[in-house]
Amino acid sequence: MQAFISAQGLVKHYGNTLALDNVSFEVYQNEILGFIGPDGAGKSTLFEILTTLLIPDAGEASINGMDIHKDYGKIRASIGFMPGKFSLYQDLTVQENLSFFANIFGSSIEENYHLIKGIYELLKPFANRKAGALSGGMKQKLALCCALIHKPLALFLDEPTTGVDAVSRTEFWDNLMQIRDSGIPIVVSTPYMDEATRCDRVAMIHNGRIMKLDTPDNIIKGYDGKLLSITCKDRQKPKALLQNEAAITSLYSFGDALHISLNNTDASTLKLISSKLEQGMDSPYQIKEVFPIFEDCFLQLMGQMKK
Amino acid sequence: MKNLSIFVRKEFLHIVRDPKSLMIMVLLPLVEIMLIGFVLRFEIANTNLAVVDMAKQQQSTKLIHRLEGGDRFKVRLTQSMPEAEELLTEGKVKAILYISEDFDRKAVENSESSLQLLLDATDPNIATTIEAYVKATLADFWVDSIGGSPVPMLITEQMFYYNPLLKSVYATVPGLISVVLMLICALMTSISLTREKESGTLKVLLISPLKPLQIIIGKLAPYLLVSLLITGIILALSFGVFGVPMAGSLIMLIMVSFVYCLCALALGFLISTKAKTQQVAMMMSLAGLMLPTTLLSGMIYPIKNMPLWLQGITYIMPARWFVSILKHIMLKASPFSAYAGELVVLLIMTGIFTLLSLKNFTTRFR
Repeated sequence: MQAFISAQGLVKHYGNTLALDNVSFEVYQNEILGFIGPDGAGKSTLFEILTTLLIPDAGEASINGMDIHKDYGKIRASIGFMPGKFSLYQDLTVQENLSFFANIFGSSIEENYHLIKGIYELLKPFANRKAGALSGGMKQKLALCCALIHKPLALFLDEPTTGVDAVSRTEFWDNLMQIRDSGIPIVVSTPYMDEATRCDRVAMIHNGRIMKLDTPDNIIKGYDGKLLSITCKDRQKPKALLQNEAAITSLYSFGDALHISLNNTDASTLKLISSKLEQGMDSPYQIKEVFPIFEDCFLQLMGQMKK
Repeated sequence: MKNLSIFVRKEFLHIVRDPKSLMIMVLLPLVEIMLIGFVLRFEIANTNLAVVDMAKQQQSTKLIHRLEGGDRFKVRLTQSMPEAEELLTEGKVKAILYISEDFDRKAVENSESSLQLLLDATDPNIATTIEAYVKATLADFWVDSIGGSPVPMLITEQMFYYNPLLKSVYATVPGLISVVLMLICALMTSISLTREKESGTLKVLLISPLKPLQIIIGKLAPYLLVSLLITGIILALSFGVFGVPMAGSLIMLIMVSFVYCLCALALGFLISTKAKTQQVAMMMSLAGLMLPTTLLSGMIYPIKNMPLWLQGITYIMPARWFVSILKHIMLKASPFSAYAGELVVLLIMTGIFTLLSLKNFTTRFR
């Protein structure tokens, strides 16, 4: 299958800081590619390069055959972009924002209403409210409508769900699925690991590098070793007890638990750990094997990258 | 073109939705006219004075030497009244002293003398000061040269060519227009453009079929219109309330104001390409444009009294040229040729500012 968006060896420096380090990937017509990584990983830089706002120091990228250097005018006129910060006119109403963004692309709300119908229905009661007076989730939905209303060839959404409540985030991702199914490929970034499962493929990005790019299932399957979870009152205690154990590759707090990553799960290793805990712990605790989730995978990859 | 009209409509919505700024734009001229009209006082040095000496006798020559003596006047001797008047209308001299044939005889006879002082009252405060200086010099001269006889009542017949009531506001209005237009055009546009930068909407605008030039024209056009409206308000105020005359062509006045607005808009645009935030844009406009415009345009302080290096700076102030043109049109009804040079300077400045800002307006960042 021909890639719709492709990037080869993108590099970007800000002074001495390396923001993007040789980033390459491809996006296909019917997929959502998610870039997952912490703040400062290089996500926004990557988005601005793809949308032609920023010129990379090195590397090539194209969208539907249009080169980001030569054809940047054509790219700009045909894609949809939602920057990281909320970027609508706060003093204009919902309706005015939407028709402005439709009109400058030579389109109208009516023409492409089918694309935003699912999302806009929720906004409709507030059509005459100023965008600045909307709630966070509503603002993001409006911004998505504005990026969609001209029927873009591809959608670039930079952290569209940051600062939005859990319910709105779920709805937002449902909307993205609909959009993808209507044939518009989506490149999206998020700092929330739990949103990774909603993407078709996920690129884990850290310090300007893609650590891994695969389907969410494969990334979880690719977890190296086994994972134990300890729940107890004082998490520092087991941490101190176990930190010099050879079989343990990493130890980290995870929510209210402590996660222990093991490179092997021989009976002897497990026994060693439980005996150490039994001797050292003075309060009740619980230990069990758990399946890794995205955050565990991310932390493991980060640890491997350091080495 | 359609894109542009969509954009302009959006800009108007921004203006209308922000009633506070709109109020400031409208009220500002009123406040300024009150402040500037009443507070300012003037002082002069090295005033160009044309002397028409019809007497050409001992006493009149002495008087001329006396006038030349201090650092108050630079005397230019002219042969006839029409010649001197021409210098006055062109603004090359600020006053004319006419000495009639019988000056010597009448002075000695201690009878009524015949001197005439013509003052350029477009700067009324300056005109009054010049008048006082001339009078003082005459009184000194009388005591020294005519001798022991008591100083006669010396009546200088004043005939004002323009601004006969010596109203300060006549001089203030052109300066005021220049300041207010600079404020609205430069300040408002620079803030409005940096606002889009700050809020990130500029990025969204760039990722669209809109051409950079369309974005810029779309931004500037509404403010140009508002500025012309404000000019109208100030003029209506000046004519209606303060009775400022409109000696020359109103159409010319509007056209020149249009050019000046373009110049100020280009400056505002230039500032916005440099400023990252609205605050910075505001500071740059206020400190970099407003203050110099008020102080260096010649509206408040006569340019001639400034130190030379400061006089040099006034040459790059668009307001200096604009105020000069306005005085020509509003007060003197000078022919177009009298201010064509100034207009050309304004046009060149506008061109330079526009090119500079277009060069600085980045649509792809590094």
